Amino acid sequence: MNIPFPDLRPVTPEIIMTLSATALLILELIFKNKGVLAFIGILAAAAVMYIMPASMGETFGGMFISDSYSIFFKFIFIINLILTILISLRYIQRQKAEYGEYYSLLLFATAGMMLMASAKDLIILYLGLELMALSTYILAGIKRHDVKSNEAAIKYFLLGGFSSALLLYGISLLYGMTTTTDIYKIAEHLKATGVTTTLLLSMILIAVAFLFKIAAAPFHMWAPDVYEGAPTSITAFMSVGPKAAGFAVIGRVFYTAFQNIQTDWTTILIGIAILTMAVGNILAIVQTNIKRMLAYSSIAHAGYILLGIIAGTTEGLNAMMTYLFIYAFMNIGAFAIVIILDRGEELSDYEGLAKNRPLVAALMLVFMFSLTGIPPTAGFIAKFNLFTAVIKAGYTWLVIIAVMFSAISAYYYLRVVMNMYMKEMKQEAAIHLSPSLSLAILITVLMVLIIGIMPSMVIG
Amino acid sequence: MDKYLLIPLLPLIAFTINIVFGKGIIKEKAHWVSILAVLGSFVISASTFTEVLNGKIINYDVYNWIVSGNFRVTIGFLIDQLTAIMLIVVTSVSLLVHIYSVGYMHGDKGYYRFFAYLSLFTFSMLMLVMGNNLLQLYFGWEAVGLCSYFLIGFWYEKKSAADAGKKAFIVNRFGDFGFGLGVIMIFLMLGTVHYSDIFSKVGTLTGQTINILGYNVDLITLIALLLFCGAVGKSAQIPLHVWLPDAMEGPTPVSALIHAATMVTAGVFMVARFNPLFSLSEVAMNVVALTGAITSLFAATIALVQNDIKRIVAYSTVSQLGYMFLACGVGAYGAGIFHLYTHAYFKALLFLGAGSVMHAMAGELDVQKMGGLKKHMPITYITFLIASLSIAGIPGLAGFFSKDEILWLAYNHGMVGKIVWAMGTVVAALTAFYSFRIIFLAFHGKFRGTHEQEHHLHESPKVMTIPLIILAIGAISAGWFGIPAALGGSNAIAHFFEPVLGHPHVTAGHEEEFMVMGISIAAAIGGIFISWIFYSLKPEMPKNLAKKFKRIYITLWNKYYVDELYDFIIVRPMKWLANSILVAVTDGKIIEGIVNGVPQAIRNFSERLRKLQTGQLQHYGLGMALGLFVILALVLIAAGR
Amino acid sequence: MLSKLFFGYFAVIMVALSLLVITRRNPVHSVLWMLVLFFHIAGLYLFLNAEFLAAVQVILYAGAILVLFLFVIMMLNIKVEITAERFIGEWPIGVALGLSILMLIYFTTSKLIQGPAGQFSIEAIKAETHTKALGKVLYTEYLFPFEIASLILLIAIVGAIVLAKKRG
Repeated sequence: MNIPFPDLRPVTPEIIMTLSATALLILELIFKNKGVLAFIGILAAAAVMYIMPASMGETFGGMFISDSYSIFFKFIFIINLILTILISLRYIQRQKAEYGEYYSLLLFATAGMMLMASAKDLIILYLGLELMALSTYILAGIKRHDVKSNEAAIKYFLLGGFSSALLLYGISLLYGMTTTTDIYKIAEHLKATGVTTTLLLSMILIAVAFLFKIAAAPFHMWAPDVYEGAPTSITAFMSVGPKAAGFAVIGRVFYTAFQNIQTDWTTILIGIAILTMAVGNILAIVQTNIKRMLAYSSIAHAGYILLGIIAGTTEGLNAMMTYLFIYAFMNIGAFAIVIILDRGEELSDYEGLAKNRPLVAALMLVFMFSLTGIPPTAGFIAKFNLFTAVIKAGYTWLVIIAVMFSAISAYYYLRVVMNMYMKEMKQEAAIHLSPSLSLAILITVLMVLIIGIMPSMVIG
Repeated sequence: MDKYLLIPLLPLIAFTINIVFGKGIIKEKAHWVSILAVLGSFVISASTFTEVLNGKIINYDVYNWIVSGNFRVTIGFLIDQLTAIMLIVVTSVSLLVHIYSVGYMHGDKGYYRFFAYLSLFTFSMLMLVMGNNLLQLYFGWEAVGLCSYFLIGFWYEKKSAADAGKKAFIVNRFGDFGFGLGVIMIFLMLGTVHYSDIFSKVGTLTGQTINILGYNVDLITLIALLLFCGAVGKSAQIPLHVWLPDAMEGPTPVSALIHAATMVTAGVFMVARFNPLFSLSEVAMNVVALTGAITSLFAATIALVQNDIKRIVAYSTVSQLGYMFLACGVGAYGAGIFHLYTHAYFKALLFLGAGSVMHAMAGELDVQKMGGLKKHMPITYITFLIASLSIAGIPGLAGFFSKDEILWLAYNHGMVGKIVWAMGTVVAALTAFYSFRIIFLAFHGKFRGTHEQEHHLHESPKVMTIPLIILAIGAISAGWFGIPAALGGSNAIAHFFEPVLGHPHVTAGHEEEFMVMGISIAAAIGGIFISWIFYSLKPEMPKNLAKKFKRIYITLWNKYYVDELYDFIIVRPMKWLANSILVAVTDGKIIEGIVNGVPQAIRNFSERLRKLQTGQLQHYGLGMALGLFVILALVLIAAGR
Repeated sequence: MLSKLFFGYFAVIMVALSLLVITRRNPVHSVLWMLVLFFHIAGLYLFLNAEFLAAVQVILYAGAILVLFLFVIMMLNIKVEITAERFIGEWPIGVALGLSILMLIYFTTSKLIQGPAGQFSIEAIKAETHTKALGKVLYTEYLFPFEIASLILLIAIVGAIVLAKKRG
């Protein structure tokens, strides 16, 4: 038996990513200044970004595919990675969690997401998911001396394990029906055999696992606790990366493998999307901790983004991807502001911020406007683009619901703004400024505004 | 980058610089940034104007913001004769007001903020007039409203100022609601928001009706009236005029720029811009004409008896805006815009003059407490006199030509035209009267204020008087472009506007025109003469008259009780509702569920939902399992297998 | 028939053992029940002619990992663990829900239509021997997943070290 050496070109980005991550583990012993590691991490990410467009193709016997779909998602992951490293640099020092492994784990998690986006085989998908998940579990608990951080990690880990078990069960049933794990072959096979209840079961199990990753209701309950407990930089990372990766695999698996039961999963996802928007937006209203509020907001956004999948059109998928891309900037930007403030985790910490730190307040205002979807910020473009795609797909009523919830969301986002601009200052807000954090905020705010003003950059 | 883009962009840049660096770095040099920017805009506008004069029409999309199917949101400029004249008005008055403010706002703690807002306003106003589509108009419309809100409430520590800002904002919401509906209707019916497309397609709507509550309403009339709602709010016409007099709480330069020369005229501009639409509906035209005429008369009568110098001028503005609508309503759009243009100069001058007086009088506004200011502030006196002569319609000055054009064209417009012409002529007399009432009370006679005030009297600094002088030149000469043929002129401005605004066909001869002109001149001189008798010759006469016609006097003094009426039918019921609800809350039982409205209901619901989030891992696991179970069960039931 | 009986025995006992593992108050007991569970899993592998997997299961899981577990448990303060309340009172709901889901799953999977058999039939594996067949597949066709799995293990080690490292 002679197996040819696999073509490594399509998988080069992942290889560089993992090699750098491993290298960081070793370099950690050499460099006492952890900033160097962060710098190397960013370099690696930049290198990956640079070579990514040239990596088109399939390899490993069709287990791995690098196409424009996966490359777009990988861009989101890399942006997420770079921004997270930038906002982490000084912050983890402040949190006394400055381990060299921190950056390594971020890179590993990103590698996992990249594998998920590129998986053409359910085994790769599962392994990528675990690679990502394990790294994030550890990152969530990296503030070892902090009980809340520990709690976040253990909760995320156990519930994540639960969802993984469901995923594996679903995959094994699918394998039993088709004797293959290749997503495209599964699709072919299922087209030939038709719909059975077993197929529906396996689809539901897989859906639940993915919905868990994107924090859709009712599989969202881990999110607020974990987001609150984890270090803020990791919260930012988790609220974008794993979510985008989850959407990437939902798009891939549901659009191809489960093509012949599209009406079934569309119905399920409609219910889930409405529930998610409701839970996210309604519960965000009562939060007093801004990280929890942003957690619910991220749940709500997952609800909107699901509409793109429900649309069932290429346009819908594109709109979903654009939304995630924009979401990465506005959400990490908001978290960066939380990080920049010495005390910024409680909503009351923002009272009178505009008088004290007008620039910080103005930036937060931009991000809050964007998350609400007020023009001319990128958030508006994201929503507009998504909603038009969904209307074109014939789900006008769903968009009306989404817009209604969007209006509710204005209540809690603008409350932050109101606190900053209308309330009296209680105490001087101290800020921790570092060049890397400023750079991250600059990038995010510029992207939010530029996309908002020149949307043709990303749409169409 | 093309130069037209720079016209609105320069003030925007100035705004950004001032708001970012104003507090820390620029401080009391903030005016330089804003003045240079608006000067730049003015210069480019002037050169653009000459291009338009040579027949060039600019209409292009600068930037496609969102393109989605046939829904295009673009930023684009349409610079035709109408826009060109608006550009000149906006940038020139804005420039002078900027310069004047350097003196007027000197030492104010919000100095940089004031200039930042002025620049932002200028930007918004320019976007409004330059837009080539409805959405941009709407954007500018709301943006100028917002700036006006900021600037009226500029001294927000003063409760009356903050209240006036709120009032302006809320009253305008009524009008803007209609306007917004109009915009949506146009998009739904015509599928476009671009002027050129709207005007080329609008003819297809003729004769179409829409069923509202069982009545068939003509579609064009409906759209026109909805748009006019917005104009009524923005341009302070009856019944939404109440905000403008209160808006005088803002700094005087703001009153001159926003509440006299530019923003309030946006309604007139909009009606003129949409003349192809309005002209298709006779009903809408008559509504516009009558609203204008009634407002004009109504506001002029109120102005007769007020004592607050700024309020007199404010009511005069309302009245003159009515004149402009009157003109539009009789199809004389060109004359309306001509009056808008001359009015901008003499009215801005009146306000800035009033500001100069206030400056000298340490904030005193009551004309009864002034007097004899002539000798203390000669420049202010002369310029104010010129403005008053102009607004009164004394031949040779700007106001005469534009007013005369309106009256003459109204006279020639059938039955409705004759009625509004008669009203307009009465208004002309009243206008002359109250304008000279200020002159005689404030500048002539003996000083009636306190001794301290008298000691303090002085002419304003050069930075304030020079804008007054320049505006005075405008108030004299701005009308010379429109000397009618009857007086041997060429009426150049009417021909200038004709391609875009049309010109009503007039059959009557010069004799009749001289008659109309003679009547209005007589009215003006008569008004001034009576004013002279009342306030210079026999000062006791007005008091006797007031006693004799006490009821009328008090009604006018109380501005026909409109504010009280609104207070009675809108504000108080609302307050009552709010209060009784509040009482119900404190009682605690009756209507607890409805009390705080939807937000609280959601909040309560949310609080309850929140209890599900126990923090117990086991519960979360159960939640997931339950979710799985429900989905599975539902799908299996639905599948029926 | 015999094979079904055999599978039935192992399946039922494995579920029962799992329940025992998670319900024992004394962690040492739990671990010991787990040991028995692992042996049963190995038995199931043998039943599938996967003798290599069975051996690895016994050597690695039962031999190495469980011993480590025991070490850790011995180092913890077991007394506290024993006295702590183990359930939060909602377990009947959990059981009911679990049984309902089980029923639904049974209901649906009973209609499973098996896909076509793959190339590794029992005869084929017998001919090539299990270890060799597994090795070949693992290092050729499944090389990529194999490498990713190794990364996951690396992460696990790193994670353990990071979380246990002395505060720097």
